Amino acid sequence: MSFARCALRAFATSARPATAAARPAAPSMRQFAASHFGTRFASTTPTPTPLPRSSTSGGIGAHQPPAWQRQQARTHQRNQSALYYTTAVFITFIGLSYTAVPLYRLFCSATGVGGTVQTSKDAGADDARFSPDNMVPVTSRGRKLKITFNADTARALDWTFRPQQRVVEVVPGETALAFYTAKNRSDQDVIGISTYNVMPAQAGPYFNKIQCFCFEEQKLRAGEEVDMPVFFFIDPAFLDDPNTVDVNEITLSYTFFNARTIDTNRLHALNPRAYQEPPAAVAAPSS
Amino acid sequence: MSFGAPQALSNITVLPPERGSFPLDHDGECKSIMKDYLACMRKSGGSSTKCRDLSKKYLECRMERGLMAPDKMENLGFHDKTR
Repeated sequence: MSFARCALRAFATSARPATAAARPAAPSMRQFAASHFGTRFASTTPTPTPLPRSSTSGGIGAHQPPAWQRQQARTHQRNQSALYYTTAVFITFIGLSYTAVPLYRLFCSATGVGGTVQTSKDAGADDARFSPDNMVPVTSRGRKLKITFNADTARALDWTFRPQQRVVEVVPGETALAFYTAKNRSDQDVIGISTYNVMPAQAGPYFNKIQCFCFEEQKLRAGEEVDMPVFFFIDPAFLDDPNTVDVNEITLSYTFFNARTIDTNRLHALNPRAYQEPPAAVAAPSS
Repeated sequence: MSFGAPQALSNITVLPPERGSFPLDHDGECKSIMKDYLACMRKSGGSSTKCRDLSKKYLECRMERGLMAPDKMENLGFHDKTR
């Protein structure tokens, strides 16, 4: 057993020659034996240089991993827990980005933030929009609006379509009249249909048209010129909307498209059985 | 109507008119009043307030000729109230 101990000490010494010198010399086996048991032991083994003792260990034989190894283990553990936390955060955010879409939709439909249309409210508010109380000019706020007009036609439509006034100055709540003129330049009866657009977009909901000429088919005979009025007002609620604070000019833009070109003779030829009635009644068929 | 607009904007800006569409004045029965109204607008620089009487006359002409559903003028905003 003593031989094994000496061998271990020798091995330890050879492994770390540099540190051996720094350590205080431990009493050798031989000296120990000599002090406690007299000179009965005669050892032929050379006394090896003492085993360098770790500074933190208490007794001889306490086989603990040295400090640098424990430090390494702690760092490794910390790194691992940091990795777990990072992965968890990563997965959380991926999950959040997936749930964000339905959550946002729920939030918007409940609160109407960001301009989402609340259709149930709109249906009920339609009567309030056009009530005579809403058509009262608001002069107390000192805000005037300029309405400009724009007219377009589709390329296939051979009409001259123009606004008759450049600008109408109006106060919110004041009803105003504007005119467009359309002339059918072709030599056939043409049915046109128009749509409109209001710019800027945030002023769109406040542009209330009492009566106009859009969304319904308008038939112009060949070469006919006709005036098309637009009777409208800007809703007084326009003044309370924070989105429209800097809006002073509103553009109303109409575009005319070809609904269909009626050639009643051709219709007869295509399907004589369906068109037994005189041509006059066939002039405006329903779609 | 803007196709391809984001959902928040696509159905706000286009609303139907309250009373639908004006029947076309094919025979130009109220054209003279329209011309007076436009002349007034050009003179006043587009001020709608100054030419309100003429627009009222135009709508009355339309109602007489059956080119507009008749209604009281107060319901069309022709009153003296202001806010």
